Amino acid sequence: MADEATILGQLKQAVMDGDEDAAVAAANEAVATGVDPQKAIMEGLAAGMAEMGRLYEEEECYVPELMVSSEALYAGLAVLQPLVAASGKAAKKGTAVIGAVQGDIHDIGKNLVKMMLEVSGIEVVDLGRDVEMESFIAAVKDANADLLCMSALMTTTIIAIKDYMPEFKAKLPGVKIMIGGAPLNQHLADEWGADGYGENAMEAARVAVRLLGA
Amino acid sequence: MWCETMTSGERMAALMKGERPDRVPVIPFLSGHAAVVCGQPITRISDDAAESFRCQLLCQELYGHDGSPLYAYASAGGWEFGGDIEFPVKKYSGAIVVTRTPIQNEDDVHTLRVPDDVSKAGALPIALGIARKQAEYGMPVTLQIGAPLTWTGSVIGEERMMNWLIKKPDLVHIVLDKVSDFLIKVAQYYVKEFGADRLMAFHGAATETNKLISPKQFEAFSMPYLQRINQACIDMGINTYFIHICGEQNKNLKFWQQVPLTKQTVISVGREIDLNTAMEMFPEQIVAGNVDPTIIQEGRAEEVYEQARECIEKAKEHKGGYILMAGCDVPPHAPPANVFQLVKAARDFGRY
Repeated sequence: MADEATILGQLKQAVMDGDEDAAVAAANEAVATGVDPQKAIMEGLAAGMAEMGRLYEEEECYVPELMVSSEALYAGLAVLQPLVAASGKAAKKGTAVIGAVQGDIHDIGKNLVKMMLEVSGIEVVDLGRDVEMESFIAAVKDANADLLCMSALMTTTIIAIKDYMPEFKAKLPGVKIMIGGAPLNQHLADEWGADGYGENAMEAARVAVRLLGA
Repeated sequence: MWCETMTSGERMAALMKGERPDRVPVIPFLSGHAAVVCGQPITRISDDAAESFRCQLLCQELYGHDGSPLYAYASAGGWEFGGDIEFPVKKYSGAIVVTRTPIQNEDDVHTLRVPDDVSKAGALPIALGIARKQAEYGMPVTLQIGAPLTWTGSVIGEERMMNWLIKKPDLVHIVLDKVSDFLIKVAQYYVKEFGADRLMAFHGAATETNKLISPKQFEAFSMPYLQRINQACIDMGINTYFIHICGEQNKNLKFWQQVPLTKQTVISVGREIDLNTAMEMFPEQIVAGNVDPTIIQEGRAEEVYEQARECIEKAKEHKGGYILMAGCDVPPHAPPANVFQLVKAARDFGRY
């Protein structure tokens, strides 16, 4: 049987290769050999995804590679996460609600942010796309979320973010708000009163962790 | 006081012939905005040829810009191959969106059919309605011929296609082939109805951005089909092209150079590509761009004017010619005073 370091390496490599079968096999081996599932997630699967994120930021890999890696990540998580939950040792850094705003059906970027938040230990409630303001508010309250993340890819739909902000500030005190999407920038995030902005999914996750003080 | 000495039509004709017009032409890239300034719902630009043409023409008169009405949309492909769409009728919606892609699984790839009568496929009846108006008014007749990978993303579904680029590349190539067949058939239809010399063929290349795909993926999945479509159109006698290279595509430019391009090709770039880079890569073609659409919507008029001035001063002496444009579609609700700054800057700084 492989030792812990080898299994963690296999998990990481499976994610980097976008190999779902290898991720599941390594996750099962982790379980069989008694590797702490939380450690297997963070130091195996999540480490692989973090490395892919680094490569994306260095333009050495692109969205298709990130997406197949994320599938391998989720395949491994499906094996390991129930064990973490059952052990009661899940160490979550906070809860985020995420969605693409009303009128916007582009969600590739939003899905990557969701994944990177999860990899960073943040529980995510994904509202999908074309999300109305009231749905965000209700979801944040239901989940008792600490963080609300909105994305918009179109210059038309970024207006929704601008419109939503005063309502969120009034109705969700204490909840940190992050925004992202191609037409947005730090300047607009500051002007509209957002607490954070991410140029890409990796930066978004770093900002989220900082905002949550985790 | 300086006065314009050419009409918009004369200005664009001079540019296309490689001559210097009276000033730098301005094509702001207005679509939904034209409906808004005419007091119409944004969806009229997409769903009603006569009304779309009317609003765009009124908008051209209002601003004094040089872009004649046209019909093109970023999510094209899905509807034309049998998917479902939604017109931009909801709050914040700005353009047609595909609500069900024609391809849902691998089997669908093999049963996907190129429509027999392209003139009835998806938005083509509306696009042809605009084209007939363009012909009636003596304007260039525009037709959308790509970009093929953007169309294919709309047929397969972008997220699914991103996955297949790695895991099932053969399936993506099959769809790309069918999309290319379709687009060439569309070009043949337009040539037959309007004549090749009246046409301006348009590529909107959005999914090709390096924010999504790698330059290698562009080389493998995009370039060969762009080459095939453009060569087919050139062989049909179409001489005028308009290519919008949307977003971050600096690393794709060396492959775009390998696509057959006539001198009468407008290369329009987004804010992410420096105009100097575009001019260097396409010395013989007309370069267009690249005022930030977000500034046009969210900035002050003075900022738009200043950015337009910078663009003009950078590119007005380009050998192939230059058009002042926004880096992408102007947002529908952009303040009209901001949009007007493009024309004002061209009149103030773009005189030849």
